[in-house]
Amino acid sequence: MSTAAVGDLVSQPYRYGFVTDIETEKIPKGLDEDVVRLISAKKEEPAFLLDFRLRAYRQWLQMQTPDWAALGFPAIDYQDIIYYAAPRQQSKKASLDEVDPKLLETFDKLGIPLSEQKRLSNVAVDAVFDSVSIATTYREKLAEHGVIFCSISEAVKEYPELIERYLGTVVPSNDNYFAALNSAVFSDGSFVFIPNGVECPMELSTYFRINSGDTGQFERTLIVAEEGASVSYLEGCTAPMFDTNQLHAAVVELVALDDASIKYSTVQNWYAGDENGVGGIFNFVTKRGHCRGDRSRISWTQVETGSAITWKYPSCVLQGADSVGEFYSVALTNHHQQADTGTKMIHVGPRSRSTIVSKGISAGQSSNSYRGLVQIGPKAVGARNFSQCDSMLIGDRAAANTYPYIRSQQPDAAVEHEASTCRISEDQLFYLQSRGIGFEEAVSMMVSGFCRDVFNQLPMEFAAEADKLLALKLEGSVG
Amino acid sequence: MIRPDAPVLLEIRDLHASVAEQPILHGVNLTIRAGEIHAVMGRNGSGKSTLSKVLAGHPAYTVSAGSVLYRGEDLLALDPEQRARRGVFLGFQYPVEIPGVSNLEFLRVATNARRQERGEEELDTFAFEDLVRERLEVVKMDPAFLERSVNEGFSGGEKKRNEILQMALLEPLVAILDETDSGLDIDALRIVAGGVNQLASPENATLLITHYQRLLDVITPDYVHVMAAGRILRTGGKELALELEDRGYDWVDAELAALAPAPLEVG
Amino acid sequence: MVAVSWTEPVTALAAWGAALVADLDGAMDGAIGGDSDGAIGGAPELASAAGPGADANGADANGADANGAAGSRLPADSDPAAPSPLSASPLAPSSAGDPAAPALESRRQAQRRLQREPLPSRRQEPWRFTDTAALAAIRPARFSGEDRRLAALAAEALPPPQAGWCRLLLDGASDPLAGVSLPEGVEPLPDDQWAACLPAADASEEEPWIGAIAAAAGPLLALRVRAEAMARLELVSEAGAATGVLPLQLLLLLEPGARLELLQVHRAAGASLTAVQARIAVGAGAQLQHGLIAQGNDDGVFAADLALRQGFGSQVAFSSVVSGWGLSRLEPRLVQEAGGARSRLRSLQRCDRRQVADQHSAVRFEGPEGQLDQLHKAIAAGSGRSVFNGAVAVPRAAQRTDAAQLSRSLLLSDRARIDTKPQLEIVADDVKCAHGATVTRLQQEELFYLRSRGISAATAGELLLRGFCAEVLQELPEAAALWQPLHHLLGEEAPAP
Repeated sequence: MSTAAVGDLVSQPYRYGFVTDIETEKIPKGLDEDVVRLISAKKEEPAFLLDFRLRAYRQWLQMQTPDWAALGFPAIDYQDIIYYAAPRQQSKKASLDEVDPKLLETFDKLGIPLSEQKRLSNVAVDAVFDSVSIATTYREKLAEHGVIFCSISEAVKEYPELIERYLGTVVPSNDNYFAALNSAVFSDGSFVFIPNGVECPMELSTYFRINSGDTGQFERTLIVAEEGASVSYLEGCTAPMFDTNQLHAAVVELVALDDASIKYSTVQNWYAGDENGVGGIFNFVTKRGHCRGDRSRISWTQVETGSAITWKYPSCVLQGADSVGEFYSVALTNHHQQADTGTKMIHVGPRSRSTIVSKGISAGQSSNSYRGLVQIGPKAVGARNFSQCDSMLIGDRAAANTYPYIRSQQPDAAVEHEASTCRISEDQLFYLQSRGIGFEEAVSMMVSGFCRDVFNQLPMEFAAEADKLLALKLEGSVG
Repeated sequence: MIRPDAPVLLEIRDLHASVAEQPILHGVNLTIRAGEIHAVMGRNGSGKSTLSKVLAGHPAYTVSAGSVLYRGEDLLALDPEQRARRGVFLGFQYPVEIPGVSNLEFLRVATNARRQERGEEELDTFAFEDLVRERLEVVKMDPAFLERSVNEGFSGGEKKRNEILQMALLEPLVAILDETDSGLDIDALRIVAGGVNQLASPENATLLITHYQRLLDVITPDYVHVMAAGRILRTGGKELALELEDRGYDWVDAELAALAPAPLEVG
Repeated sequence: MVAVSWTEPVTALAAWGAALVADLDGAMDGAIGGDSDGAIGGAPELASAAGPGADANGADANGADANGAAGSRLPADSDPAAPSPLSASPLAPSSAGDPAAPALESRRQAQRRLQREPLPSRRQEPWRFTDTAALAAIRPARFSGEDRRLAALAAEALPPPQAGWCRLLLDGASDPLAGVSLPEGVEPLPDDQWAACLPAADASEEEPWIGAIAAAAGPLLALRVRAEAMARLELVSEAGAATGVLPLQLLLLLEPGARLELLQVHRAAGASLTAVQARIAVGAGAQLQHGLIAQGNDDGVFAADLALRQGFGSQVAFSSVVSGWGLSRLEPRLVQEAGGARSRLRSLQRCDRRQVADQHSAVRFEGPEGQLDQLHKAIAAGSGRSVFNGAVAVPRAAQRTDAAQLSRSLLLSDRARIDTKPQLEIVADDVKCAHGATVTRLQQEELFYLRSRGISAATAGELLLRGFCAEVLQELPEAAALWQPLHHLLGEEAPAP
């Protein structure tokens, strides 16, 4: 009884599935060089960026869809996707008062208030709707500290030298199939620059919303922390419910110089498709951080609950001496969702350290795979890695796979990996119930207990949000 | 303490129950009044642990006949958590380990659920910490255990103390302690038994389930019941436990054989 | 599978398997007056060129088989100086259309596979970390008369068998049972039971490529251990300084309740390939304690495909120690067909200089309540490459499985490399599956402690290394001591502290 009931608990309806009825400018479906040029022209980009896009596009044409992940999905028709869609709002407004109220209302409904009076305190938000950024809050306040936080389209115009210096240096345009596609057609995303010695005074956040049913979202995020700088950044994502699949192929690049620290958190709640696996987002994302400087630190925390397909490996290249990489992940899959996610920790520099904590929860007929690589290069003397990968299975039709790959070429290094599998046992549930704790709360307590090591890593401001999201997936009637 | 006029807390009538299609209880009758301490003794497989699980509402056990009234209410109709909130407590023979769930948090949520049921105010984190520190005294438990995951990595004795601590916090009216003495050394047994004695009052009742006399040396029962083949075979005072200690359980077999053809399942 | 790709020059890699098949079969066909079908009996060039159309050719070969006398298809040897050919062994089926047909079909399949597929390369996922250059350098032919003479010479120097153990010498050509009295309860496997050990003709899972090498030559030894019997067997191959390929296909059936201690020993001192394919069916309630020792040299290659099928309530303990080979690839594959069985796997591999030591293990539970306890240990010194891939599959039918896998690797040199990749696939909720992997050097605190007691760094390192090895060595069958596995493991180069 309890297994079925637990299954019901994680099968909550998706709350963000509404569509905003707004006039949208779209370019025709399909992809060729002209489309790449058109996107670049719409964004009034400098020549170097158009060249970057065209080079990526030509590389993409030569590449194959990767097939090594434990995922099954139909071939994607790249000519049946719209590569640029924007709410018809002529230019980004200087003041939020001028933003279309429908858009503000949309983000209100998503729990991301953008209007001045209701803003999340101490969190600056960049709101991206389909292909464009519609608002960025607290820009001025951040500018006082020298922090740049804006959409990447604005950054291209206002800080082209920074973009040219860093874009594509962590994830080269030919890194993989989806990164190449993104490099060719990326629309919008966030740019963050924290100058020398500055600790970013508030949390930064980007909220991605896919609204159109036939549009792909190809966002591009670049975060640079100069020497001694630090920042904590969170992204959130939702999409309406369509019975077709939408493609989301993002690239995120992080650069940390000497003594810099970047904490990147994701609460991903794209639409996952219905209980029969119809619809949902195909999420093919390349996220990589480059600990370029000594003693630099990059930390990824992700809570993945959405998407029909997740293909995502937020990684760290630990080049600097004594640099630190971290990956904390909770991935919940249900129904027919498929997730193949994990991380790569590439230890190059001496005494570089990394920690991996992955918690996978599989329910329904879903498939949840952890795939990781820990690589210790010949020069990474004294490097250390510890990985912990746990799976929780709910029901006997869900799959939990673990593929932790280790390569070491440095004797004076230590790599340690542990993994375990558990379920919510009837005995545990009964024990909690026999102490007066209700069924739902008991399940919820155990799931949050299972995920605690990861939730502890989320910034204070968002810990509640993540907890809410999990609770949302877990609340409901007892079956 | 036997008071014939004390209110009946638990009334078990002709209880039949099974687990995994296998009948274990074959008509248990037992009445427990406020203030009383009962001991159910019997061999392994006699059905005594099944009785405790059925009373607490373990989902693996099915009641096929009979009734259990708790303060006049149909206990069997309640979910396990409702029973706990109303004041029925089961001390587990094997307390379950729950990795990742903080013991303190677990105790607080459970305590507040019980308090809410009684119309009392929920305790905030600080008030609860005060309460739990006070109750820790009952079982002389190290506060460090509060910070750990529920029962995870606890020794046998620590787990049993944690059970009695829960009992001290939930203040049940009927506490069923299933083999609370198993796996305890003599010092731990004294501490646990001391806790149980301290918590016993004229308002509540205790049902001890045990295999051995030694628990009854430190907790004095008002009634001793001998269970065999899924029913209570004989009831007496504390001297019955001593007799069992003396003569062993063999005479039980003789008495059973004399009875009507009662099936001898193991449970 | 289009002809276009074959307009490129035929590489040595592509031709290797075909050349070997030509050698294996050419000799045989010659013996019976020739086989007109070029796909099997032809020159290596011809055979490899036939690669792209292998399916069609394979069908032809099949047809040819049906026409030929089945007995003639078993390995023979054209060298008159050779010991008695296997066709004289009890394995030779007596008539056409006989019960050994599955063995013949399985052999033909293996031959077609070798003809069709080039040597594995790193472009293939199962070989991603493994350089097969050492294998490509092996002459793709059976031992010649001179090679057999060299091997026989080396075999004379082998230590005598341990008391209570029956030794069978496997030279790939002569009948290992000739002049041997088998222990009580052990007897040749009747032809009609070969199928119980051979892979199913419709096997859905791809068999390892390396298994095809031995399978292409056909069964060399097929035995069964009768129900409730207890026996000890030692299977030894000694290639000595011979060059070429030593194919050893072994079929073993343990009837219900049988108990067998089995020790496989494979040694080589020259540029030879010892290719083992063992098919072992362990019946319900049977117990197998199985050790494997493979001691090679820098030019030698060891390739073993060991498929074990376990019946309900059976117990298998398999321990392997592999060291010294230019390339070793061990693929223990274990299936608990009805669950409820116990499997204990222990393995130790060491590579030094430019050696490659690779183990790909796979365990699959097809019924409930199976148990697995797996420990893999690896030592990489010099410029050695150590590879471990450990797959564990727990499908839905395998509820209440309890599986644990641990991989511990020691990296002793900054030119060496270790690749380790556990692979757990679980579709059952009520299971306990844990795995762990570590890659480290020797523990510095332990080394220091020993040194602070006056022990030299080199000795301290060796002591710790011995300790590291002991955990696996102590689980080998007792007859393993003869072969001084620890000495062979450590004798090559004092470990760097």
